[in-house]
Amino acid sequence: MKWFRFPARHGYAVEISPFLPNILACATAQYYGIAGCGTLLVLEQRESDIVLMRSFDWNDGLFDVTWSENNEHVLVTGAGDGSLQIWDTANPQGPIRVLKEHTQEVYAVDWSQTRTENLVVSGSWDHTAKVWDPERPQSVCTLQGHEGVIYSTIWSPHIPACFASASGDGTLRVWDVKAGSCRLAIPAHKAEILSCDWCKYDQNVLATGAVDCSVCVWDLRNVRQPVAQMLGHSYAVRRIKFSPFYKTVLASCSYDFTVRVWDFSRSPPLLDTMEHHSEFVCGLDFDLHIPNQMVDCSWDETVKIYTPPGLTAMQPSSA
Amino acid sequence: MFLGSSAVMNRLKVVSRHLSPSRAEFQSCSARAPADPQDVVIVHGLRTPIGRAKRGSFKDTTPDELLSAVMTAVLRDVGLTPNKLGDVCVGNVLQPGAGAVMARIAQFISGFPETVPVYTVNRQCSSGLQALFNIAGGIRNGFYDLGLACGVESMSLRSVGNPGDLSSRLMDSEKARECLIPMGITSENVAERYGVTREKQDSFACSSQHKAAQAQKQGLFEKEIVPVTTKFVDENGAERTITVTKDDGIRPGTTLAGLAKLRPAFKEDGSTTAGNASQVSDGAAAVLMGRRFAVEALGLPVLGILRAGAVVGVPPDVMGIGPAYAIPAALEKAGLSVNDVDVFEINEAFASQVVYCVEKLGIPMEKVNPNGGAIALGHPLGCTGARQVVTLLNELKRRGRRAYGVVSMCIGTGMGAAAVIEYPGP
Repeated sequence: MKWFRFPARHGYAVEISPFLPNILACATAQYYGIAGCGTLLVLEQRESDIVLMRSFDWNDGLFDVTWSENNEHVLVTGAGDGSLQIWDTANPQGPIRVLKEHTQEVYAVDWSQTRTENLVVSGSWDHTAKVWDPERPQSVCTLQGHEGVIYSTIWSPHIPACFASASGDGTLRVWDVKAGSCRLAIPAHKAEILSCDWCKYDQNVLATGAVDCSVCVWDLRNVRQPVAQMLGHSYAVRRIKFSPFYKTVLASCSYDFTVRVWDFSRSPPLLDTMEHHSEFVCGLDFDLHIPNQMVDCSWDETVKIYTPPGLTAMQPSSA
Repeated sequence: MFLGSSAVMNRLKVVSRHLSPSRAEFQSCSARAPADPQDVVIVHGLRTPIGRAKRGSFKDTTPDELLSAVMTAVLRDVGLTPNKLGDVCVGNVLQPGAGAVMARIAQFISGFPETVPVYTVNRQCSSGLQALFNIAGGIRNGFYDLGLACGVESMSLRSVGNPGDLSSRLMDSEKARECLIPMGITSENVAERYGVTREKQDSFACSSQHKAAQAQKQGLFEKEIVPVTTKFVDENGAERTITVTKDDGIRPGTTLAGLAKLRPAFKEDGSTTAGNASQVSDGAAAVLMGRRFAVEALGLPVLGILRAGAVVGVPPDVMGIGPAYAIPAALEKAGLSVNDVDVFEINEAFASQVVYCVEKLGIPMEKVNPNGGAIALGHPLGCTGARQVVTLLNELKRRGRRAYGVVSMCIGTGMGAAAVIEYPGP
């Protein structure tokens, strides 16, 4: 396992560059994100360690980060003051653009992966999601409907102009940006839902992670009950991500300090539990370039890169 | 950046919510708890208009007639034949023996068969709510699946008075003596002891009148009121038949200045007046309850779920503080906090005690009696609790989303009662 320590900053989100296999970004906040400022770390993974390439400061906590899908130097972060920042790793002075419309904490940012569009979606505690064209100073549209804070917004990797959101109101929603409306509201948990993600191999499959400690997998064609429910975490599930390599594999990190890897087609579904953190684990990503490698970040001031032993025996899915 | 302390508190609150979620912390439009077939649910409820005692619409109407109007209408609305009822419980305070005979007569003039049993309950101002608790208890005990909880009072025909036969030893016990303190004086005690000013009481009373007037003007009470046709003796002594459709205690023109002019009613230098205390009234209410699986098997709707209830004791000389203790007790049983509740129906026996309870519990004032309370509508003692449940569920239904509500009241001789009721959503 390789790791990097960032004193006095607590990790909220981590994401591997889609362009450069060894580059990753981590959104952090001072004082556990309750008060103080934030720092975006751009890190390089080397043979035996992780080193800091650049860091960017913002005067409020940074809670999420996403890499641009069309420019290897560009990143977007979401901040506690309700703003989004667009950063260029070649420009150390500060953000190249700040987008300020949300009235409360921005807890989620995601850059669209469908080829025809370059849009960013943001989810906020002000109960709204906004869609942005990073070239323009104003949002393209604002989507209202959630009755609680939004913790997670993720573009569909398959359907253009479609994203999912997870909220404190206990619903998972699927949105159609072209129509500007909510297509589906699924009462997925009887608790706040903190994270959602799309399966990379099936456009109808989504997963949710919630305060009720469960991870659920949903098929949009029949949302009356989950396809699978995975129990094991002892505290709220903070973030989930689907594997880019296996259709039925996903990982979850939690307030119980652990990261777990699941295969929802198996019984029991749990493949592995990583207990290498000493605080809440908030950020998680699968490496797109190196199969089975994962990265996470925690309030314990570290980013860790590792390969869960439970994943190495798996055979990759074909797209 | 220096964050405002409210933002810091909010972030702390969000994280702590993730770590120890309260059952209803998330507010969902459509996410529902799985329905337990053993739940005690409320199917339907109605009330009569509330009349001003001795001068109002029901001054010549006996309580069995008021009771019969609501008993009949509740069953008729949902198409249930009365022989399906396992029991009928009626809250009443002022009739002799809490109106045990009156209730049985009400049953027969409503056309209920003799095979249906009935009894009355008197826990003073909470009697109407106690009737719900009793019917719920009968359902939980497995005695029956469907029951009717009612409340009725004619304060025109009976007055609060003779407490009955009491031991002379009551003088030896301070608490026993305090049970005989007039209610108005207990209100003065609350105001004095907890510093509830005349201004606060009048302003609360004024807002109760305005909220009730607004609700009446918008027709919000029409869904919960069953019109009552009854006899009425006019000022010339002529008897007429009238149909009453509206509460007659509401005074839309109430102003703070007008309330401020009223003289204290119970104590020379006191702060409780006729304007900031509940009105003396006549009325009845009925609520059909059942075990969920029986209700659903009969194809009846589920309007509410009784989630928890509590009755607690408090000092008799400040009996008005009862809700401040009963509400937390009931919420705790339901696993909820004040924040989880959308509407509180707290009986306005006196503005002094409601203001005290609301402030003590930190309830946002806009959640309290959104359509006014007993100061404007009136407080027919035995009816009130059942009336509040009917008003609460209609309000939650109007808001159109799953939510929790609380019904609470203070009780003479020093008690408080509270119920937590869930509206399951449309």
